[in-house]
Order: sequence, then C-alpha cells, then structure tokens
Amino acid sequence: MRIPKFEYFRPSSIEEVCSLLYKYKEDAKVLAGGTDLFVKMKKKEIHPKVLISLKGTPNLDKIEWDDGGDLRIGPLVTHAAIVNHPMIRGKYDFLAETCFKIGTRQVRYMGTLVGNICNASPSSDAAAPLLVLESKIKTLHLYGERIIPIEEFFIGPFQTVLDPQEMVVEIQIPKPPPHSAGSYLYLRKASSVGETLVGVAALLAKEPRERICKEIRIALSSVGPTPIRAKAAERILRGKRLEEERVREAAQAASDETQPRSRAWYRKEMSKVLVERSIIQAMEKVQ
Amino acid sequence: MKKRWIELRINNESYDLAVEPQRTLLEVLREDLGLTGAKEACGTGECGACTVLIDGKPILSCLTLAAEAQGKEIVTIEGLTRGANLHPLQKAFIQYGAIQCGYCTSGMILNAKSILDENPKPSREEIIKGLEGNLCRCTGYNKIVEAIMEASKGED
Repeated sequence: MRIPKFEYFRPSSIEEVCSLLYKYKEDAKVLAGGTDLFVKMKKKEIHPKVLISLKGTPNLDKIEWDDGGDLRIGPLVTHAAIVNHPMIRGKYDFLAETCFKIGTRQVRYMGTLVGNICNASPSSDAAAPLLVLESKIKTLHLYGERIIPIEEFFIGPFQTVLDPQEMVVEIQIPKPPPHSAGSYLYLRKASSVGETLVGVAALLAKEPRERICKEIRIALSSVGPTPIRAKAAERILRGKRLEEERVREAAQAASDETQPRSRAWYRKEMSKVLVERSIIQAMEKVQ
Repeated sequence: MKKRWIELRINNESYDLAVEPQRTLLEVLREDLGLTGAKEACGTGECGACTVLIDGKPILSCLTLAAEAQGKEIVTIEGLTRGANLHPLQKAFIQYGAIQCGYCTSGMILNAKSILDENPKPSREEIIKGLEGNLCRCTGYNKIVEAIMEASKGED
C-alpha cells in the first residue's frame, strides 16, 4: 500500500511551521508520529497536498514541569516516552498506564500524545485521563496563541476545534489536587490493535482516613461521538460520603450520560461497571 | 514530486539516495537497496512485519517516510548477524522452531531485540505484551516466546 504523493516540508523552527500552515491552510497536515496520518492517507480517507514534518524542529519532545508545578508535554513526546518517564509513572501513574495500553509497542514508540488528541478518535484512550486531569491544549497560529480546555477541544468524531492554520504546541496538565489518585480501566476489542470498547478514567480526592469525597472527576471514551466528562455522576459524589450505594448511583448516572452508537446496551452496561470499579480503585489509591 | 537527496545509515553503512517524499522507509529498503528482510503485510501498522530498529527503537517502516529516517541509525534483520555468526535471538528462533512461513520473523526478532535491550530479563507476560504488535499468521506464538526467553538467559 502506497502513500499518495504530497509536498514535504521539514522546517527547523515552530515559526516556520506556523507560516507554512498559514500559507497552505486545509491543504496541509502536520506530521508527528505518522501512525494515524499515513494510515488515513493510504486508505485515501484524507488527501493532504502538503505535509509539514515537526522532526526538523528541536525541543518539541520535551516533558517539563513549570514553576507552578504544571506538567507540559510537547508535540513530539511519544507514548513510550511517557510510559518510561519515572516522574510521570510516579505522580501520574494512571496516565502512564493509559499510554502503555495505546496501540502496540511499535506504535507507542512512534505515535505522540498530542497526535492522539489531534486525531480525536472517539475511542482515544489518552483523552479520558487528560479530561479528568483537566488538561489544557496550547495552540499556536502565525498571529496568536490559544489555551483550550480539553473538554472544549473535541467536537465530533475525528473533529476538534483546531483551525487548519493552527497547531498544538503543548498539553498542559495542572498539578492534581492534594490527596488525590486516578485510575484508568478499559475493555478492548479482540482485534489486531485492540481498540478500546469502553475506557473510563476517574480522579478522586479525599482526606486519607476519611470517606468524604472532596473532588471527583470521571471521563469516558469510546461511548459517544467524543470522549466525555460525566458531570452528573460527579455531582452525586462531590462533597458526599463515599458509600457503596452512592458510588453505584454515580456509576449509573455516568452510564446514562453515554451515547454509544454500536453495541449500545453492552457499552452502557460496561460503562457502569468500569466507572464503579475505577472510582473504587482511585479511592483505594489515595494516600 | 521532486526527489530529495537523503543519506541513510543502515546496518553501519551509509547510502546516498534520491527519493520522492512519499516513499516509505520500507519501500526504499526493499526496492532501492535490496534489503528484503523487512516485509510488507498489512501496510497499516497492525502486523509488525515491517519492524526495523531506528536508534534502537522498534519502528514500523511501512508508516515511516524514508526522508524522516535521515541521520538515524537503522538496523534491519540483515544487520543483526555478527560476521558469520547469527545473533543469539536468531539462533534461539532456529533452535525452538519459532519459524513457520517466516513472514513475521524479521519483525519479531527485531522487536524482541529491542525488548531485551530495554529489559534483559523480561517475564513471559512482558514478552507477550511487547509482541502485541507482531502478528504471526501461522499462530506459532508459544515457540516464539520460548525462543526469546531462551535468548534472554544467554545475554549476560
């Protein structure tokens, strides 16, 4: 299978990337890992005339913390780089675990977290933990920049709010609340790449020896046109005592918020099961 | 499209090539350089038959532009032998009969090499997880896993 022809640019600065995007608009695509882009091009689903490679621009593969303790992930940071990063495995263990689930070993060494988000697959694994971490997407345009909450980033299957002339330069992940822990649970299809059938992330904060839920965030992927936050479910638990019955009620509410297209009954049932389990798992992890 | 001059470092040798930008590393390896160890099966990154090592990492050469592999160290199955000696993984694959049709083998061995380079003593589960992107259509997975376990014993 061949990749259709295109014009290739390999600029050496982010400004040049933006200038090229400004010039070529929807004719151009940014090339990072290529694991989604080239598959779509080979299958003739998209036909970009111009590809702008990020590989010639230095420092785009940085994982850094800013002075405020926010984590910043550059556009060429691969899933493998996140999986293998000791501090991410420590502080954001469930994000690292999620990245370890994505694709296959080869895809994890090629594909990037930013690329995964920009591809905006409804079944994106990375989206769920990034949603509960209330991540922000920093974008750059030749004439300005934007910081977009990830909750507003996805607008439909494989569609984002990104303008064709804009590129994502960073995912910003705020410091999680004190005494919090997260979890990610999923079911996968029995296929070559094991695409996620239901993915659930939960982040929970509570005082170590108490049962009052100070903060709860729940996100699901692969159960609607875009990954979602389950806000109604969160409201049932936030500020309340964590009891079995209430957790189950929240899980039902989360399931009610999903809109799965195919295998709807099964996906809704499993959403309920996985939300309950992920809340309990997060609860048990809080120190 | 206009051809570009690129220099590729493959198995410790340099090659100067003029390639069109849309050509994959796999196409250039097989068609321009006659290195046919890497195979094309699915062409969409699911099967792993095209796996090569780039800077030691397992990469799908069917989804990598040749132009993007410039300035990096590429290792294909042809570069794994040490003189006339087969690599321990190759020997173990033969010893355990971990080959049937052979189409997945070079990708399996190169990915296995990267697994052992990262973690010289992987568990059986770690090997299986690591190989999830390499499909064997003959489904001879057990022997492949056993061969890698065997090779990991001798890597001290």
